[in-house]
Amino acid sequence: MNPADTADTVATPADTVATPADTVATPAAAAEELERRLGPADPADARARDLADEREEFPRADVDALDGIGLARHYVPVEHGGLLRDFPATAAMIRAVAGRDLTMAIAHGKTFLGAVSVWVAGGVEQAARVAELVSAGVPVSWGLTERGHGSDLVAGEVTAYPDGDRVRLDGEKWLINNATRGGLVTVLARSDPAGGPRGFDLYLVDRRTAGDAYRPLPKVRTLGIRGADISGFTLDGVLLDPEADRVGAPGSGLETVMRSLQLTRTLCATLSLGAADHGLAEAAHFATGRRLYGRPLLDLPAASRTLGECYADHLLHEAFATLATRAIHTLPGELGVLAPAVKYLVPVGTESLLARLRRLLGARAWLRDVRGTEVRAGVGVFQKIERDHRIVSLFDGNTVVNLNSLVSQFPLLSRAHRRPRLPEAGLAQAADLTAPLPPADTSRLRLMPTRGASLLHELPDSADRLAELATEQNELAPVAASTRLLADRARELLGDIGEQPIVPPDVPAHAFDLARRLTWALAGAAAVRLWLDSHAHVSRGGLGPEPLWADGCWLHAALDRVHTRLVAGHRPTAEEEHALERTYAVLTGELLRQTGDHRFPSLLHIRRAEAL
Amino acid sequence: MNTSESTATPAHVDEVVDWLIERVAEYREIPAADVDPDVPLAELGLDSVYVLSLCGDVEDHYGLVVEPTVAWDHPTVDALAKHLHAELTGGAS
Repeated sequence: MNPADTADTVATPADTVATPADTVATPAAAAEELERRLGPADPADARARDLADEREEFPRADVDALDGIGLARHYVPVEHGGLLRDFPATAAMIRAVAGRDLTMAIAHGKTFLGAVSVWVAGGVEQAARVAELVSAGVPVSWGLTERGHGSDLVAGEVTAYPDGDRVRLDGEKWLINNATRGGLVTVLARSDPAGGPRGFDLYLVDRRTAGDAYRPLPKVRTLGIRGADISGFTLDGVLLDPEADRVGAPGSGLETVMRSLQLTRTLCATLSLGAADHGLAEAAHFATGRRLYGRPLLDLPAASRTLGECYADHLLHEAFATLATRAIHTLPGELGVLAPAVKYLVPVGTESLLARLRRLLGARAWLRDVRGTEVRAGVGVFQKIERDHRIVSLFDGNTVVNLNSLVSQFPLLSRAHRRPRLPEAGLAQAADLTAPLPPADTSRLRLMPTRGASLLHELPDSADRLAELATEQNELAPVAASTRLLADRARELLGDIGEQPIVPPDVPAHAFDLARRLTWALAGAAAVRLWLDSHAHVSRGGLGPEPLWADGCWLHAALDRVHTRLVAGHRPTAEEEHALERTYAVLTGELLRQTGDHRFPSLLHIRRAEAL
Repeated sequence: MNTSESTATPAHVDEVVDWLIERVAEYREIPAADVDPDVPLAELGLDSVYVLSLCGDVEDHYGLVVEPTVAWDHPTVDALAKHLHAELTGGAS
C-alpha cells in the first residue's frame, strides 16, 4: 500500500457505535458485548479465512468488521478520550477476537502495541493526537527490531540526529507488524552515536507527512498468520519535530520501551488464551462426535484425561494472565517480574497444549481442507490455529529474552525474599476477581520489582489458609496438600536462585532452567491466590461454573500441572492420583459443557455470540 | 514504602563514594584501588545485571529506593555518589 492509500484510511473515520460499550464493566461483559456485535461465527468465514491464508492476503474484511464496531477505541485510555479503563476488559475483547481467528486479532491488536509508548511516556497533547488517529481506525505500528539485531535493541542502528531545527531519521526496521499498512509508526532510534541506555529516543512517524522518505519493505512470507502485514520499512531522511514528535524526555526511548513492554507482554497472553479457547472447542467437538472401537473417543480414559489436562493448563494460564493483568492496576511495581513470567509461560504452555490436542485429533489436525467438500465443515481449522499461534512466543520479547530478564532479577528476588514483608494489599485486590480496579497509573511501573514477588512471599501464608479451610471442609484436603507442596518447592527454588553467583559473566543454561521453574511457581501461586480470594464471591454471584470452583477443583488440577513442570519426574502419590482422577473427570465434563453451550472454556461464564 | 530497618545517612559524599567503590570492587573481585570513580560503570564491567544488584544494595544500605535508570543518568561512581548523597540529604549536592 502506498502512502496515498493510508491518507485515505485516515480520512474515513470508523463508524463507532460505541454507546453500549461505554458502560461495559467486567471483562466477561466486555467479551460478550463484542461477541454480540460480531454475531455468530459463520462456517463460511473459516473457509474464507483459509483461502485468504493460502493466498497470503491481509484479512481486510475481518479487520474492517472490528473497525466497524470501534474496537480500537478500547486501545485508548479513558483519560485520552478512549474506552480503555480496565486492562482486563480490553484483554477479554482481544481474547474473543483471537478465539475466532488469531491473524485477525494480531493484525488489529498491533495498533495497541504501536500506541502504548505514547500512553506511557507521551505528553498530553501528543497523546490526544495519537488517540484521535487510533480511534479513527488508523493502524499504528511499533518499529523496534532490526534485521541484524533482533531483540538486542541497544544495538539498533536506525538514527535520529539533528538536522537544522528538525531531527532526521535514517535506517531500516525489519520484521515489523503493520509496517506497510500503518498510518502512524513509533520508531526507536539512536540519538547518541555512542548509544547506551540513554542513547535512544522514540519518535512518531506520521505517514501522511513522511511521504516517500518512509518506504515499506516487501511482505515477508511466514509459517503462520500468513495474511498479516509482516514487513519492515526504510527511513530515508524522514524529518520530524524534535520536540512534538519525540515520545518522552530526550534519551528516554529504551526506558519507555521497557515500561511499555511490561504492559504488552502481560497482554500478549490473551492471544494465547484465545487460540486455546478455539483449539479446545475444536478438540471437544471432535472428541464427542468421534467413535472408535464401538464407543465415543471420550470413553477412552487416555483421551478424556488428555482433554482434562489441556483444559487444566488453560485454566492455569487464564488464572495467571488474569491476575497479572489486574496487577497492572493494583501492583504495577511487580509487573517487572510478572510480565516476563506470563509472556514466557502462557504462550509456551499453550504451544504444548495445542500439540497435545493435535495428537488427540490425529489426522483431522493434519488436514487443511476446511471447505467441507470431502470432510465435515470445521475439519482442518486446527492446523491454522497451531500455525498462527507459533508467533506469540516469538514476538514482543521471545522465550529466551523473557527468561533472561528473570535471571537478571535473581539477586534482587532472593534478597527481597529473605526480608520479612507485610501482606500486599495490591495482591489481594488483584486476586479478588470481583474487586473494583483503581485506574491504571503507568507512571508507577518500575523497571525492577525492588520488593520481589509478593505472590511467592505470601505463598506459605496461602498454604496455611488452605490447610485451615481443609480442616473444616475435608474435600479441600488434596488441594491443601498440593499447595503446601508448592510452597515447599517454591522455597527450595528461591534457595537455589539465591545460590546462583550474583553475576555470571554469561548466563549458564542452569539459570535458564531455574527461571523457567520460577515462572511455573509464580503461576501456581497466582492460581492459589485467585481461588482463595475469589471463590466465595464467584460462587455467591454465580459468576463461574460451580463444579470448577467447588472443593478447589480447578485449582487442584492446575497445581498438578504446575508440579509436573516444577520437578522433573514428578509422580503424584497413589492417594493423590486417585483424587486427581475425580478432579480431571469433573474438568473434562465442564469443558464439554462449556463448549457445547457456546461458552468460552474459562473459569468464568462468558457466552459466545451463538449463546447470546 | 521504605521498610529497611538499618539505614545509614552519609555525612559526606566521600562516604558514598567509598561505599560504592567497595561494592564495585566486590562485584568485580578486584582491589578497591583499581576502581576509578571517574570511569563509566559500564567500562568497569558493570552491566545491567550488576546495576540491578547495586540498586538493591543501595536500598538495603541507605533505605533509598532507586531505579536502575539512576546508573544510566549518573554513569560513574562519582556522579552516582553525588546523586545518592543529594537524595539522602534532601537535595543539596
